[in-house]
Amino acid sequence: MQKKTVFPLMRGSHLTMTLLAAVTIVYGLATVLTGSWLSSQAMRGLMTVSAYRTQLAGFEQIAGAVASLLLLVLFVLCAIGSRGSVRVAFATGALASAGPALVGRAEPLLFRVIGLPTMGAGSVLSSAVTVLAYALPLTILFLLLAVGRNNPRGCRWLSMASILVVLGTALFPVYVTVLAFLLKPGDPGVGAMMDVSSRVMQLRFILPGLCLLVLSILSARYARVHPAMPDQIPE
Amino acid sequence: MMTFITKSRRRIIAVAGLLMAVLALVSCGRDSATEALEPTATVVASAAFQGLDLVVPAPYDPPISMDSVISVDATVKFLNDDDIYNNVWTRAYAELLGINLGFKWVVDGSMYDQKLGLSINSGDIPDMFRVNGAQFVLLHEAGLLADLTDVYAAEGSPNTRDIMAQDPVALKAATIGGRLWGIPLTDASIASAPVLWVRQDWLDKLEIPAPTSMADVLEISRRFAEEDPDGNGVDDTVGLAVTKELWGPSASLTGFFNGFHAYPHIWIERDGALTYGSVQPEMRSALIALQGMYKSGQIDPEFGVKDINKVTETIAQGKVGMEFGVWWNPYHPLYLSQQNEPDAYWSPYAIPSVDDTPAKSQYSSAVGSFLVVNAEYEHPEALIRMINFWTDNIVRTQDDNVRRIFLGDINAPDVVLYKYTIAHLWEPNAILSGGRLLREALAKRDPTGLNLDAQWRYRIIQAYFEQGTKEAWVEVATNGPDGSVTILERVAEDMGMMNRFYGTPTPVMAEKMAALQTMEVEMITKIIMGDPIERFDQFVEDWRRTGGDAIIEEVNVWYADNR
Repeated sequence: MQKKTVFPLMRGSHLTMTLLAAVTIVYGLATVLTGSWLSSQAMRGLMTVSAYRTQLAGFEQIAGAVASLLLLVLFVLCAIGSRGSVRVAFATGALASAGPALVGRAEPLLFRVIGLPTMGAGSVLSSAVTVLAYALPLTILFLLLAVGRNNPRGCRWLSMASILVVLGTALFPVYVTVLAFLLKPGDPGVGAMMDVSSRVMQLRFILPGLCLLVLSILSARYARVHPAMPDQIPE
Repeated sequence: MMTFITKSRRRIIAVAGLLMAVLALVSCGRDSATEALEPTATVVASAAFQGLDLVVPAPYDPPISMDSVISVDATVKFLNDDDIYNNVWTRAYAELLGINLGFKWVVDGSMYDQKLGLSINSGDIPDMFRVNGAQFVLLHEAGLLADLTDVYAAEGSPNTRDIMAQDPVALKAATIGGRLWGIPLTDASIASAPVLWVRQDWLDKLEIPAPTSMADVLEISRRFAEEDPDGNGVDDTVGLAVTKELWGPSASLTGFFNGFHAYPHIWIERDGALTYGSVQPEMRSALIALQGMYKSGQIDPEFGVKDINKVTETIAQGKVGMEFGVWWNPYHPLYLSQQNEPDAYWSPYAIPSVDDTPAKSQYSSAVGSFLVVNAEYEHPEALIRMINFWTDNIVRTQDDNVRRIFLGDINAPDVVLYKYTIAHLWEPNAILSGGRLLREALAKRDPTGLNLDAQWRYRIIQAYFEQGTKEAWVEVATNGPDGSVTILERVAEDMGMMNRFYGTPTPVMAEKMAALQTMEVEMITKIIMGDPIERFDQFVEDWRRTGGDAIIEEVNVWYADNR
């Protein structure tokens, strides 16, 4: 029986992967904190809805653009610093960097530039598209990491769990919104789900970022415990 | 290797714990909603209504019979084997009050007045029934109504009295010669007060400040018409939506006139006497302003032939930036704006004033019909007990079980149970008190204590602010922190102008008012479309000559008795 060769996810330093995770988490936290503060002000009547809309849109556009740019660069650097299926995974994951930028721009893009019909549910549709643009590449990324036989076992299991985390945080709020506004408006059961959905939505960027962070730590740990011989590391 | 794997698993467990902790952290500080308030009522045991906390008097023993009449539209649906003669309400009256309610006849709503007239003319008068204002006067003059003064004084519950007191003219409207001859079917009078609705996304896009005066309204209208706020590069937007009817719950001109301190179609007090708002000089300046708006393309050039359905289409197409309507307009027709523009958002504003004197929104009492009792019926107090049952147990209840059984189940939204009884009325201030509770819950971020309906509204507003669900703006714009309900509160305080005439139509009014109002609509439409303003002076002269003066005289005779 041929012995399986296991390598850490990154060929050298795990700094870029750690930074990638950190940027995702920081962007997620920033959107949660800013959104919570703005919504709190508006719901208490301390800020007009107009001011809320303007400030939130401004934040989403600026923070989204900065986050997208940073994520793109870091994904590319991660791809360069990895090998084999892991490189393909990060290259695919780079597509997810469009997610933050789309948060504030999906509506005009879909309904003005492309000209899709809103069907009276424009924000639900644009939210779904934004989520898919972010979650699908990440899902493929984690899937590739999970099936990569040369990856450390812990990383593979965590990647598998991360797929569920990404899909869950991405799709559950969309599902609940469709239930609440289109299929079962007024249903108390859906009302309780809306509470959960609101919290889950706040984790949309934080949880995948945490998954990446822990993957990076596990991989770095593996690299320290099992230093590879130079001829074992494929270019 | 084994050591590493074990540690790795520990790490995974630790990671899972960390993720759980983050979930818990994000969730903390949010209390879950509770379903109901503590009951405060007396528990009444009954076979069919076991376990419900209801307040009822001792039932009639032996039970009494009551014949009534009712209108049931084709849209009214029943549960299981129920029908209008046997349903939750007839069973409740029988089991809890000892009143066996039957119906002499059941007709569609459109046929009710005609059928009732035939019944009365043939002498087949029900024991208890609903009448409109004109029928109320006729039946009283014919001596066919029971005097309810004493039974109301003896049996009217505190809840019933409180609800009646919320509309200062409700009981007065049912009182003739100092005696009470019917129970007014109250509703939210304040709901008809006009509100200014503006496309906030257009205001923000063009960086126009919120309107604080009628001059601002005119400027906003001009810029909406001229500066292509929908950004399609075509000159196809108008500033103000107006229907050919001119009045109504949406795209109305009532609020516009109110901004100029003019009060069309209602009776206002001047120098101690009542006079008709439509023929006052304040109308003139408003008409001149409207004419200017029409001339410069701020009003649809075809408004004179467009009814509310056509104007609704224009709103749905996103071609209108302002309208004067009522507080609930986002539910219809304004929500349609999002069909083409997901970012569309209409903000409510109190009616701005043309000068330094604050404008007042006009409204009329919502009492349009009454419950009356046949003068020959032996138990006039039974009507008061039925009304008490509604006011004590149903209309104010926070008990979702009671709401489900007597009003309807959320899982069967097309079955509206209260339509099976005519003994139901609405709390005039319910919009205001409900809105206040909801806003308090929003400020606390805690829906505890709200009933199911209010909890749903809370969550919809929450979805707007916390999940970016823009379709939820409808609830934000009405019941949210700066919603239209807050404007109604100010109208109720000191920014309202109530119609001072709440009596039944006077003889000349009944005969000629419809024609006079048609004449008024023609005059306003033609002046807006370019006729000289002197046409208004001619209209006032004609109005007075062809019946207006006689109506004013009659109304002031009524006013002398009801001041």
